[in-house]
Amino acid sequence: MSAVRADQLVDVVRLRAEADAYARESQARERQLHRYAADLRETFIEERARTQELRDSYVATVRALTNAVEARDAYTGSHAERVTAYGLALALEIDPKLAADPQVEFGFLLHVIDKVAVPDGILHKQAPLTEDERRLIEEHPDTGCRILRHVDYLTGAKSVIRSHHERWDGTGYPDGLRGEEVPLAARIFAISDALDAIMTDRPYRRGVPLAAARSEIVRCAGKQFDPMVIEAFQRIPDAELELIRQEIE
Amino acid sequence: MTRKVLIVDDDPFIRKLIETTLEDVGGVRVVEAGDGQEALAVADREHPDLVLLDVMMPRLDGIEACRRLRAKPDTADVPVVMLTASDRFEDRAKAAAAGADRYLRKPFSPLDLLRLVEGLPKRRG
Repeated sequence: MSAVRADQLVDVVRLRAEADAYARESQARERQLHRYAADLRETFIEERARTQELRDSYVATVRALTNAVEARDAYTGSHAERVTAYGLALALEIDPKLAADPQVEFGFLLHVIDKVAVPDGILHKQAPLTEDERRLIEEHPDTGCRILRHVDYLTGAKSVIRSHHERWDGTGYPDGLRGEEVPLAARIFAISDALDAIMTDRPYRRGVPLAAARSEIVRCAGKQFDPMVIEAFQRIPDAELELIRQEIE
Repeated sequence: MTRKVLIVDDDPFIRKLIETTLEDVGGVRVVEAGDGQEALAVADREHPDLVLLDVMMPRLDGIEACRRLRAKPDTADVPVVMLTASDRFEDRAKAAAAGADRYLRKPFSPLDLLRLVEGLPKRRG
């Protein structure tokens, strides 16, 4: 064997040893990365479960609060739940993202919270409200928001709660917002709230059937209600609204 | 005070992985060394709260580095975690004999690593 060939052989042996060492190193790195991936998967699964748990407890809290407020008012029964279901159906018709936002649902449910500050005498009154009584209610429009002011996770819901008595033509309260100044969720809510109010029996009048309630609401397009939301409302079949009504008594 | 961990491994990739895990997730400060010799110098200078020590390293291996850390009054009490290859039982026996407190098998779970570092007492003084 010539000297040149011996040199080459040494090179080959050295290169092979280097390649082997490199391969071992890459395998070790790869195994380590797989271990990271496994932990990441595990963490991700746990995190999702925790997020779901947290969300469920938010919903439970909001429902408990809503039910506590409604318990004072025997006539409204499941009013908040029904209005929420109507409202979400309407939101879905306009923008699925809006319907999926828990803040919207929380706002719909919790709109009743300002009733906490309404005296029993007015809340339980068996007749339409007088002008003075109505003013008293309107003087406390932001009660709900004040009660919830430290609850950070309801920030989105609070805008619905504050603005659900605003009107498209600017004659609502408490801020006299007009048109699109009123948050979309609140514009949606106004219609579902009206629908439930018109259709529900009151001590001083019987509830109105869906068809009549619809035309009464549609008549107020551009005045009390956003015409765009009214159009969406008109696209929702009677059957869907009747179903909500039957299911949430 | 933020805890300080000395990572000793000859593979810069593994050092980076541990550094990212501990600094970004564990909120720990990290100092590094690429072999046992360097580890002794860095430990002297930085006074870490924990040393993560790989076994197989050039110049000075982890077992010997651990023994020397233990022999110096300054670093005699620092907790040492040995990173051992999972299939080498004799490494673990040697690590224990050299004065390591714990060992972590490679490939290690980053969650185990974090738990280990989070369970660490803060350095006094």
